[in-house]
Amino acid sequence: MADFDLIVVGGGPAGMAAARRVREKGLSVAVIDEQQRPGGQILRQPPAVFRVAGWLAERSYRPVKAELAAFEATQGIAWLGGRSAIGAAREGDGFVVHAAGPGDLLRVAGRRLLIAAGCYDLPVPLPGWTLPGVMSAGGVQAFLKSQQIVPGDRFVLAGTHPLMLIVAAQIIAAGGEVAVVAFDQPRSRFLPIIARRWTSALRHVGTFAAAAGALRLLRRRGVPVRFGLPLRSAHGVASVEEARFDGATVACDRIALCYGFVSQSDLPRMLGAGVAWAGPAGGWRTLHDDWMATDAEGLWIAGETSGVAGAAVALEEGRLAALGILRAAGRIDDAEGAAAPIRRRLAGLRGFTELLAAVGDPTEALARPNPPETIVCRCEDVTQGAIAAALADQHAPNAIKLATRCGMGLCQGRSCEATLLRQIARASGEPEGARGGFTARFPIRPARIGDLIESGTVAIEATNSSVHAD
Amino acid sequence: MIVIGAGLVGSAAAWHCARAGASVLIAEAGHPNIGASGQNAGSLHFQIERRFLENGERLAEEAARITAISRIAIADWAGLETALGEDLHVRRDGGLMVAETAAEVALLERKVAREQAAGLGTRLLDGDEARRIAPYLAEGIAAAGFLADEGHADPRAVTPAFVRAAERAGATLRTETEAVAIARQGGGFAVTLRHTGREETIRAARLLIAAGAWSPQVAMLANLHLPLFPVALTMNATERVAPLLPHLVQHVGRRLSMKQTHAGNILIGGGWPSRLRRGTGGAFDPALRPEPIETSRTENLRAAAATVPAVADMNLLRSWTGVTAITADQLPLVGEVPRMPGLFVAAGGSAFTLGPTFARLVARQMLEQDRAEADEALAMLSPARFEHLNGFMG
Amino acid sequence: MTRRIEQGVERGSRITIFVDGAPVAAFAGETLATALIASGRIAFRRDGRAALRGLFCNMGTCSECFVQTAVPGRAPRRLRACLTPVADGMAIETGAGPDG
Repeated sequence: MADFDLIVVGGGPAGMAAARRVREKGLSVAVIDEQQRPGGQILRQPPAVFRVAGWLAERSYRPVKAELAAFEATQGIAWLGGRSAIGAAREGDGFVVHAAGPGDLLRVAGRRLLIAAGCYDLPVPLPGWTLPGVMSAGGVQAFLKSQQIVPGDRFVLAGTHPLMLIVAAQIIAAGGEVAVVAFDQPRSRFLPIIARRWTSALRHVGTFAAAAGALRLLRRRGVPVRFGLPLRSAHGVASVEEARFDGATVACDRIALCYGFVSQSDLPRMLGAGVAWAGPAGGWRTLHDDWMATDAEGLWIAGETSGVAGAAVALEEGRLAALGILRAAGRIDDAEGAAAPIRRRLAGLRGFTELLAAVGDPTEALARPNPPETIVCRCEDVTQGAIAAALADQHAPNAIKLATRCGMGLCQGRSCEATLLRQIARASGEPEGARGGFTARFPIRPARIGDLIESGTVAIEATNSSVHAD
Repeated sequence: MIVIGAGLVGSAAAWHCARAGASVLIAEAGHPNIGASGQNAGSLHFQIERRFLENGERLAEEAARITAISRIAIADWAGLETALGEDLHVRRDGGLMVAETAAEVALLERKVAREQAAGLGTRLLDGDEARRIAPYLAEGIAAAGFLADEGHADPRAVTPAFVRAAERAGATLRTETEAVAIARQGGGFAVTLRHTGREETIRAARLLIAAGAWSPQVAMLANLHLPLFPVALTMNATERVAPLLPHLVQHVGRRLSMKQTHAGNILIGGGWPSRLRRGTGGAFDPALRPEPIETSRTENLRAAAATVPAVADMNLLRSWTGVTAITADQLPLVGEVPRMPGLFVAAGGSAFTLGPTFARLVARQMLEQDRAEADEALAMLSPARFEHLNGFMG
Repeated sequence: MTRRIEQGVERGSRITIFVDGAPVAAFAGETLATALIASGRIAFRRDGRAALRGLFCNMGTCSECFVQTAVPGRAPRRLRACLTPVADGMAIETGAGPDG
């Protein structure tokens, strides 16, 4: 017997949009999220006991903040925050999701499952990237948004994704110092792409305004924004002390890497849903139909799980998934009619997503060879050289994992899979992902064995409680 | 000679044959070590396995005869790293098979007596003696059988080392190469191999099927039955932790095996099932990834924490399943198929611990070198015991 | 150095945690990762080559920030510092050692 009509994994824009709409039609809903409070990475909320004046006041955050407010005001959603969905399996006529918290592990049973687990920064190996102080740009931004700290003195931002401008501006606004924002690609990449897709660009003038505003602030504060300046390596003794570019060395105590994003895909893959390799950054995007349903019965997805496309798309996909779920549950009459405007908006957003992907395309940066001693698998310290040696014998990801330990560590391969699959493609001459990837194994986040043993015995106290932010 | 399967047994047998001067081709449908040889947890276990003890005294008595092979395997493992010239992370700090309840202690006593009669050096320890050797054991452990020869090795290292040795000795490995037809020709075989859609037929005087759970399908090409049944087993690995567990730890009354790898992960297994998937024809298909069974995982971990309490505070890193195969009487299947002279098989479980020995002995049979001695050692494992199944085959 | 943003931010109550034996001031609501790096400790562990490592993703995905945590009266746990809220009196053991 299922505890809930719907389990949602991920309390970001897609998960909130779907959960709220399904709950409003009377279905019981639980939302599991690794963060304490809802909002996802785009709205990493400060701790409930904090008071932050003017939090994320920029115009571009308004639509997601409106959804967050509506979600928090919705009664009767079981919010299971601070918990990692470490596994999912079929049980009875639905699913069970294992939700690990810092003190116990819940088995959450539900008739249907929506995975809106978001994405993470594409890890890009280069010499020195394992030094303390080298972080993902998203990680730096989360410290600013949520924890209200400037996690360093002097930052270098390097990569290909325009998000760098926003993060740099947020560091400056919070009183930090940015030594340089270094785009790997040449400036000449930007204008022709925007010119070719100017209709999309016009429609999303707000997003451009945010980037342009960030750029203006950086210029005003004298922060150099450079193009065609690839980061080659990071150096330091106990932590990072300098970033080396071609012909330039920049002193810093933090480097934030920003080459794009990849979908969190472990749970759909574990449940056998169809996936496809997403280019050019990589990662597995889960395939879906017109209602966001996957080819695995009862499993829906929304947001970055379907391919990285940003918060605006995630909101619309969450709305669409809610309609799909309500339609399957027989709780809505004119689903088609309600879906039509969502689908129109999604079609409109597609051009912009493609534009952003083209502007931030990391292909050239990813193709740049690293010295053999460069670590590729951060967990198991597997080097570029060890992978190259294994690639001489075989091209199957799981076989290379077994031979080298690449992907065998705590992160389950999330830090190295995209790199490895790119190198397999290069060695075999086949498309990236042609031979599949690592098998998604339980638990997708490490979990305490004592909690796993006792997992059957913990009751879900949050059932049908309202959303509590504290 | 053609060897089908580049797992532990196939690559090791190829090495022995090539060393003796035979021309050897290894045909591997996928890649070396991707099956049970690489997926198993690397136990070197020589005490009588729990699975032989839980189905009555008669089977236990019969199974005790496998200790004769275990004694040979103990000697084989002792020289393996030197012979191959590679570090296989072989650790033989001893193994404990523990008992908690009075009934388990009684079973353990009978088992140890049987092993001692068969010439194994197992010692019976009470709980305190066991905890002196193994301070990590729970207070509830009442007795343990200790065998100093037991331990573990690295499944990731062993088969690749055999493959390299076989290639150095002149054997040829063909990967992604599937056997699609086996015909008798003259005194030998014509084996058709398919690689990237192209087929080639190669003649061989001797043929070894060492394809693990896939062995019955290969045997079908020769119109033979091999009474092997696929089983999917659950295994678990903790995160890496400081050295805690130098021994192999098993349980006489619960499905449990534990050891700590060279890297620091504690591997927890012991024969808990996963669900095999059925192929399009309706039969179990070992190529399809088995479905984990939650209770298998949980109960395996519960047994581990009851035996080694420190495990409860560790994080589980990964659970996985591996497919192996067992025979109708649980004993491995190693030797020549009487119905089809020249066709050999080596499959049917225990092939990590005993695999190097199976390979060495079956290679002697194939080479006709000291064959009588090899025949005698493998007599109880010979396919001849299932020959009635092939009475209308071949 | 990492610093807390003061302007316009009211934090939770002041608490003390113990990192590798040393008392560290923190604010209720913060994550362990914040408390650690705000105290100047940006290395959380050592890798297989004994090189220092810090957190990378700050969102629970990369698993670089596992530390040993102990709350009085409860069994110790290895948790991701970036997801785990601080609690008064919590004892943390990083794997970074004396020079971390």
